[in-house]
Amino acid sequence: MSDKKIIIKTENLKKDYKEDGVVVHAVRGIDFMIEKGEFSAIVGPSGCGKTTLLNLISGLDTPDEGKVWLDGKLISDMSGKELSDFRRDNIGFIFQAYNLIPVLTVEENIEYIMLLQGIGKKERHNRVIEILEEVGLSGLENRRPTQLSGGQQQRVTIARAMVSKPKIILADEPTANLDSKTGTELLDMMAELNEKTGMTFLFSTHDKMVMERARRVVVLKDGMIVDKKEIDIV
Amino acid sequence: MLFLKMAFRNIFRQKRRTFFTALTMIGGFALACISIGWADGSYNNIIGMFTRGWLGHIQIHYKDYLDKPSIYKTIDNYNEIGKKIMEIKGVKSWTARVYSAGLASFKDKTSGVSIIGIDPEKEDKTTDFHKKIINGDYFKAGVKNQVLIGKGLAKIIKAKAGDKIILVSQAADGSMANDIFTVSGIVSTDDDLFDRTSFYMKLDDAREFLVLGNKVHEIAVTVDKLKEVKKIDKKISLVLKNTDLSVASWQEFAKDFYKAMKADKGGMWISLFVIILVVAVGVLNTILMSVLERIREYGVLKALGTRPGDIILLVLYEANIIAVFSIFIGAIIGFAVNYYLSLHGIHLSQSFTYGGMKFSEIMTEINLRSFIIPGITVLLTTVIVGFFPALKAAKTDPAKSLRFH
Repeated sequence: MSDKKIIIKTENLKKDYKEDGVVVHAVRGIDFMIEKGEFSAIVGPSGCGKTTLLNLISGLDTPDEGKVWLDGKLISDMSGKELSDFRRDNIGFIFQAYNLIPVLTVEENIEYIMLLQGIGKKERHNRVIEILEEVGLSGLENRRPTQLSGGQQQRVTIARAMVSKPKIILADEPTANLDSKTGTELLDMMAELNEKTGMTFLFSTHDKMVMERARRVVVLKDGMIVDKKEIDIV
Repeated sequence: MLFLKMAFRNIFRQKRRTFFTALTMIGGFALACISIGWADGSYNNIIGMFTRGWLGHIQIHYKDYLDKPSIYKTIDNYNEIGKKIMEIKGVKSWTARVYSAGLASFKDKTSGVSIIGIDPEKEDKTTDFHKKIINGDYFKAGVKNQVLIGKGLAKIIKAKAGDKIILVSQAADGSMANDIFTVSGIVSTDDDLFDRTSFYMKLDDAREFLVLGNKVHEIAVTVDKLKEVKKIDKKISLVLKNTDLSVASWQEFAKDFYKAMKADKGGMWISLFVIILVVAVGVLNTILMSVLERIREYGVLKALGTRPGDIILLVLYEANIIAVFSIFIGAIIGFAVNYYLSLHGIHLSQSFTYGGMKFSEIMTEINLRSFIIPGITVLLTTVIVGFFPALKAAKTDPAKSLRFH
């Protein structure tokens, strides 16, 4: 793995939580790297620390110890405002529960990040139309999220994550709330978009379908990376 | 613009809650608007009645006459001064008066009286004096030695219109002044104490009786607008700057009354504070509930790169849209109620006495401040109270909110 191509790098990442007075070691010294343009997955059983690791990588959470570099920048040292701007410009999120803004239409949800970036109205509209076509939702731009099916909502989330052309897409269990047919369709679509755009995709999942498509799989157990062959779920 | 749009749509998500919040704000605004309109209306009405009833808005005397009244502390050339005063913009009218004390006798009854010499025509223009006559007639032109007496005095000496009264006093030249006067009418000023001694004579008769020549003791001035009293007071002082005369506005010569008015106005601010408190609690409750409900949404917004300041703005927009709408509706209600009460007033079943004057109805007033003060109050309260929930929303930890909500 050449250093030039590395887009995500963590070093001795640690994070503990306190739940009902009990300390939970969610992430216990993780070192790993992801290359630019990869379609990768962090896998493991529930509670193994996948989401926590993804949150630390994206800067949504701060590590107790260790460092995170994204695109060569040390994000674990950034201030709140710097981190907000960095996330806005470099990371796209796909959530398990879609997390669309209910009061905004499909178009407004998708253009939200571009608005924060200060991109002009015409440019925004063109990009929304283009990405809606790519995710197969053309003509639905004026609908509200509640007027869409789960699969359609997840497509809007994918469109929202990709439309501002971030370097990294972080997807937390994106197929968990979908039936297997819709899940497969969406994964194929994301794999296709990964090929086409060269954006780096990193999933947290225990979905076998994701692993089948992933070029790199990081297997977690009890907050640590383990050999993937040793995990039953794999 | 996007945040404004989101805020606007958010307020319709919990229609019932928005409705009750708006109702609290509308109620608060309208109550404050009516209470200020009412306070201003009644105070201005009371001040108007108090000053226009007898005192006038501005008075001119020999320099220390008010502290130590004396028949010798007089104003010379009062007609010339009056003419100069009338040239000042905003002055409505003026009148001259003389004062002294004496003994009035009718048949076997005698009572101490306050002799008040008034210019029948000017006094009527200044204080609507003829309206105070409850029995008999006002002074007739060209008839000498007519008097009007207070209803209390009439009761004491058992005199009525047409009766002849003997008046004894000391003139300015030291001689004993005495003459017979015919009661033309009985006067009631609603100030019972004053009416028990008041003995009104024509100014010319009084000056002659008291041997005052062309001198008077007081010039009372009324102005068109109450709020211009101090400005006009200064202008009159400028006109009289090289004389021994002093000029005083009603706030100075009726200090006790003015202090009582100010204290009463303080009470108005207390009721305004209570209204603010009610609005504040309502607003805080609503915003806090809506923030707590949407904590996951704020987490998503932060994850997408929304800055904390923008989230504060979003929450405050939401509260302030409701506030602006409520102010608009509250203003319509406040205006309608104040307008109605400014025309018809509130008739009191039992009249009350203030500053020696009897009041049987309260009028409201429509003025700009009765809209501006509640408007600013509601908006400021909303911003201040809304800021803390907004800060909570802005401080949302995206990782936690996405995990637990």
